[in-house]
Amino acid sequence: MRELLTMWKNTRMIVLTALIAAVYAAVLIPFKAIPLVPGFTEIRVAQVIPPAASLLFGPAAAWGVAMGNLLGDIMGSTFGLGSLFGFVGNFLLGAIPYMLWGRLGPLSSNQEPTMRGSKQVAEFLIVTVASGLACAFMVAWGLEVLGLFPFTVLGSIIAINNVLLPAVLGPVLMALLYPRVKRWGLLWSDILDPADIGAGKTGGLGAWIMLLASVVGWALCLFLSLGGGGQLLMPGFAQGGQGGAVTVVAAGAPVALLLLAGLVLGRARTDLSQRGKKAA
Amino acid sequence: MDLYLYIDRPSPIHRLDPRAKLLMLLGILLFAVSSDHPLVPAVMFALVLAAAQAAGAWRALKRVRTLLIVLSLFSLVAWSLFADGPTRLLGPVSLESLLYGVGTALKLATTVAGSFVFLATTRNEAIATGLIRLGLPYNAAFAFSTALRLVPTFVGAGATIVQAQRSRGLDVESGNIIQRMKKYLPLIVPIFASAIRSTNHLSMALESKGFGARRQRTFYLQLHLGAADWMMVCTGLLLIAASFLLRFSGYGKISGLLT
Repeated sequence: MRELLTMWKNTRMIVLTALIAAVYAAVLIPFKAIPLVPGFTEIRVAQVIPPAASLLFGPAAAWGVAMGNLLGDIMGSTFGLGSLFGFVGNFLLGAIPYMLWGRLGPLSSNQEPTMRGSKQVAEFLIVTVASGLACAFMVAWGLEVLGLFPFTVLGSIIAINNVLLPAVLGPVLMALLYPRVKRWGLLWSDILDPADIGAGKTGGLGAWIMLLASVVGWALCLFLSLGGGGQLLMPGFAQGGQGGAVTVVAAGAPVALLLLAGLVLGRARTDLSQRGKKAA
Repeated sequence: MDLYLYIDRPSPIHRLDPRAKLLMLLGILLFAVSSDHPLVPAVMFALVLAAAQAAGAWRALKRVRTLLIVLSLFSLVAWSLFADGPTRLLGPVSLESLLYGVGTALKLATTVAGSFVFLATTRNEAIATGLIRLGLPYNAAFAFSTALRLVPTFVGAGATIVQAQRSRGLDVESGNIIQRMKKYLPLIVPIFASAIRSTNHLSMALESKGFGARRQRTFYLQLHLGAADWMMVCTGLLLIAASFLLRFSGYGKISGLLT
C-alpha cells in the first residue's frame, strides 16, 4: 500500500503511469465502437494489459490503468458518473495482481512471473480472476448504488471481459515482456527505493482478504441481484418482497470495505525478482 | 480521427473558471440521479441542453446522439423489465417500471450530455490546472495530462502496426474466439514494448528541465474566480446539498416501485 503513494516522488514511475494510461486508453478506444452494454462496457481487447502491467510495474500500473480507463471514457463517449466507479474498479484491477503475487501460500509459485511452468501460469490465472472480479464488482455495484444499471447485467459481462482475454493471452504477454522489462531495469521493485515500498508481516493476510472479498463478494452480489436469498439475508430491508437492488447495495458495502482493508494490509513481494538476479 | 472534444467559441460558458464548471457539473449529475421520478432528471437534461445552446456545443453532442438514443432505449427496456410495480400495463411492464425506465434513461442522457458540454467548453490544460488548484497533486495531474496528449500518438502507432501486421498476413477476422484473441498479441506487444522503452529517455528529459525539483511551482495559466464563477460555485453546492436531501428524504420516489 505504501508504494501506491510514495511512487509519486519518482519521475520514472510517474512517466510509466502516464505511458500505461495512454497505451491502455489507445487500445480501449477503437473497440468502444463494439458495445456490449451501450454507454457502459464494450469488447475490451485492452484487458490483457492490466494484470501484466501490474506484475511488471506495480503501483504505476494501478494508477495508470485507472487513469487510462478514465481517458478511454472521456475520449470514447462513455464519460459520466459511472466513470468514478470505473476509476476505482480499474485501480483495483491494476493493484491486486502485484499485491497477491507470491502471497497466497500453497497457491503461489514463489517465483518471478516469467510463466515458465504450470504453477506460475496457475498463479497468474488466480490473480487475474481476483482482480477481474474485484473490478467487475466495484463498477457494477457502483452503478447499482446510483440506480443506473442492475448488477446482474454489468457484473457478469464485465467479469467475463476482465477474465477471459487476460487468461488466454496474459501468460504469453508476460513471457515476452518480463525478461525485456527486467533487462531495461524498469521493474517497479528495481525502480523504487526499498524504503518507499511497504513492509511488514500483514502481506499474506491482506492478499487473502482481497482474494476472498473479490470472489465471494462478486458472487454474493450477483446471487442477490438475481433475487436469491434477499429476504433470508436482509430481513429488515426486504420487506414486502422488495427486490435485489437494496440488498445488493447493502451487501456490497462491507465487500468494498474489505477490499479497502486488503489494500491497506497488502504488502507486495519484492524478493522474487532479486532472487532471479542472484541466481544469474 | 478527432479524439478531442473541445470546441473553441467565445461563449459565456467557455469563459467560466474550470473549477466552477466542474462543481456545477457535479451538482447537475448528482441532482439528476437523486430521484427515481423522471421529472427531476428531465429538468436537469433541459438545463444541460440550454447550456449546450449557450456554448454552441451542439457539434459535441451530435457525436454522441446515436449513443444517447441507444443508451436511453436500452435502459428504458432493461428497467421496464427488471423493475416491477402494482399497475400492470403490458405483460411484465408496469407503469411504475416504465416511469423508472424513463427516469433512468433521462439520468443517463443527462450524465453523458452534461459531461460532453463540460469537455466541449474546457481545454485539457484548464482541466488539469483546475484540478491542481482544487488540491490534486501536481505529479498526478501531470501524469494525466501527459497521457491525454499521448493517446492520439499511440492510437496512430496502433493503426500503423495493424496495417503492418495485416500486410504480413495477419487476419483477425477468421478462426474461433480463442484463435482470434491470440491474433491480437502481435498488435498489443509492439505498442506496449515501444511505449515502455521510452520511459528512461522521457524521465531524463523531464529531470533535465527541473521536474520534481521543487514542491511549489508556478503556472503559465492563471485562474481567477469572477462573479459569474462564484454564482456557478454556489449553485453547484446548492444542487449537491439538494441531491442528498432529496435522496434521503424519500421525495422523488415512485410509489409501489420494486427494483
